[in-house]
Order: sequence, then structure tokens, then C-alpha cells
Amino acid sequence: MPTKTISIRIDGELVTAHEGQSILEAAQATGKQIPTLCYLKGLSAVGACRVCMVELAGTDRLLPSCTTPVQEGMSIKTTSAKLTLYRRMAVEMLLVERNHICSACVSNSHCELQAMAQSLGITHVRYPYNNPRLPVDMTHPRFVLDHNRCILCTRCVRVCAEVEGANVWEVASRGIYSRIVSDLKDDWGKATNCTGCGKCVQACPTGALAEKGFAVHEMVKESEAVTRLAVKRATQENHSQ
Amino acid sequence: MPTVADKAPAARERTVIDQAVAKHHGHPGELLGILEAVQSANAHKFLSMDALRYIAEETGIPPARVYSAATFFALFNLDPQGDNVICVCRGTACHTRGSRDLLEKLCLDLGLHEHEVNDSNQADKLALTTPDQKFTVRTVACFGQCALAPVVEVNHRILSHVNERTLQREVNALGQRRK
Repeated sequence: MPTKTISIRIDGELVTAHEGQSILEAAQATGKQIPTLCYLKGLSAVGACRVCMVELAGTDRLLPSCTTPVQEGMSIKTTSAKLTLYRRMAVEMLLVERNHICSACVSNSHCELQAMAQSLGITHVRYPYNNPRLPVDMTHPRFVLDHNRCILCTRCVRVCAEVEGANVWEVASRGIYSRIVSDLKDDWGKATNCTGCGKCVQACPTGALAEKGFAVHEMVKESEAVTRLAVKRATQENHSQ
Repeated sequence: MPTVADKAPAARERTVIDQAVAKHHGHPGELLGILEAVQSANAHKFLSMDALRYIAEETGIPPARVYSAATFFALFNLDPQGDNVICVCRGTACHTRGSRDLLEKLCLDLGLHEHEVNDSNQADKLALTTPDQKFTVRTVACFGQCALAPVVEVNHRILSHVNERTLQREVNALGQRRK
């Protein structure tokens, strides 16, 4: 079905977009990169992370590009000093809210939050850390939920509801007490409708949802076994000679 | 300790839930209406986990979404509430007129520990109940009665210009009435 085309300007460049597209989609279609965290192509957009903010000519407010539909004659800026400032602030806020300790994380160097912080040039955080004491749910046979690494992007909630259709995840409580919960805050292992498909793990931008066995702590080496084997073999050879 | 969340009223609560679901089912935002009806029909004005589970089963709404709604709104309680509800305003005007001291004194008098709640998962606002289920102390952001600060609501009756003595008198009166 042909949709109405709309002309907008992105960073001064005249671009053709389709009605119903978001600013982010229109920008990506022309090869422009807008940083995102909570957005995942294929899932609904919620505008939770505030990293994809853009400037719209004629308004002082910044707009989240993932949830703002394109309109005829829009003139959008995707990079500016102001935007970098706000994006940096948003990511710093995410970093102080929970315990994001990269060196001890399963997703170290495979983490969208870490990559985002690096690309925004965040070398330190100017706000005090929250240091919350949050639980880790290990009850699922294959996966782990670590609240300490969750940024509440709700990708897991959306992928489970929209793609898998199992509706296991939801955000409970509010404000800094918000937590991802399965069923009635039951253990993940007890969630009756969880199919164990692992889509939430794949969708998670950080190490909050991970497969078991990948944590630094779990990579236990058994070098004594090698020594024991070698010693045994050596003594056997001595005997046979 | 016998808890009020015993299984005994389950059958009665089930009929309440069935009625609420029948009344609201299919309407947009049905969940809030159902939760409200079930909570107000409960003797201790709270939603038990059994009730939430049953609501999820009956409506077909995912349990996680039911739990999410019940924890997002301050109106819903997941713990049994006391017979008397005392609500201390912690808005700016009441704060400057000493509502923190009032709250601390009240908690002290009733033997509640305000700090206990800080680690709790839904401590957005304070809601403490005495072990004998007589009193629940809550806080609220503002009653909109700032000219009368500090304001305390006792069983949905608003008391204005409250000081420690008037509050203590009120609490004692309530405590005696129940004996």
C-alpha cells in the first residue's frame, strides 16, 4: 500500500519519509545514525532511555526520535553540542542508578550501555552513585536476571509480549524502586508461562539478562586435573619401561 | 502468628472477584476497576497474592501486568491494612511546619520503625502497620490543604494544624474505642 510521502530536513539534508514513520526510522533509512538504547528494530518504541533525543527547529524541547512521528516540513538536527550534553547526562544517570561494574560483567565489551558510554566519551560520572543492593535471580535453569545491571529499557518486556507472546515480564513499582518482574514477582524459574526461548536475553542491551555459565566467576579452570593426568601418565610410562 | 491472609476468606473473595470481573470485563482499563473493587471489599483493604493470581486467571491478563498495576498505584495495598489509617502529609508546606517530627513521634508511639521500610521494594511512600493490625501509618505528598499545615488524615477525616499532643490524643481515643 503506498503511503503518503513527506519531505523533512535532517541535518540540513532534504529527505523523503513516509507518513507514520518515526524520525528515527526516517533518519536510519537515509543512513543517518542516531544513538539508541531502548529502541530495538521490530519492537514497539517507548522512548524510555532518552538517548535518541533530537532537536526540532522551532521548539526548545528536545524530542525522542523513536516515538516522534515525522511531519511535513520538519527540520531536525541529530547532532549538536546540546544533544551530546543531554545524551551524556542520560547515560550517566543510567550508570549511577544501578551497579554497572564492567570489569565483572558477563557482557563486558558486548554491552550496548558500555558502547554508548564510550561513544559519548563518558570517562567518569559526575553524579553520586546509588549503589543499591539488588538481588540476582538464578532460579531459571538456563538464564540469569541481575537487577544490578538492568537499565529498565523494557526491551525484554516488549519482546516477550510482542514476539514470543508469553507476557512473562513487566515493570513493577515506580521511580527508583522500579524492577523487572516475572509473573507476580515470582522467581523466574517458577514463571509458568515462560517458554525459555531466550528472546529477552538476546534483546537485553546489558548483562542484566544473560545465559548461565558466561560470568567471569563461573569460568573456573581445573588446571590441577591437567597436572594430575600428566603425572599419572608419566608414572605409567616409567612402570612400563 | 496467625495472619489475616489465611486461606479462609478465599471462597468469599473469589465471588467478589468473579462479580468484579463480570462487571468490568471487556472495558478498557478493566484491571483498575477490578483491583479497586476487590480491595475495597477486602476486610483489611489489601490485595493478597492469591487474589492477584485469581484475577489474572479470570481476566486473562498476564500476572506480571496485574502485579505491575497493583504496585504502580499508591492506592493499592499488597499488605493487610490496620483498622485505623493515619495519613501524615509530607508535602512541602507540612514539612516546613514540622510534619517529619509528627511522623516520627507517631511511629515512636505506635512502636513502628520508620527506617525498616527504606529497604523494602515499594517504599516509594511509607505504609506501616502495627503488629496488632490496629493502626496503619502512611504518608502522602499533599492533601491540597497547605494553609492548614501540618495536616494529618485520620480515617479519612482531615485534622488541621496538628501538633504532637493533638495527634497523640486522637490516636489514644481511637485505640480505646477499639478495646
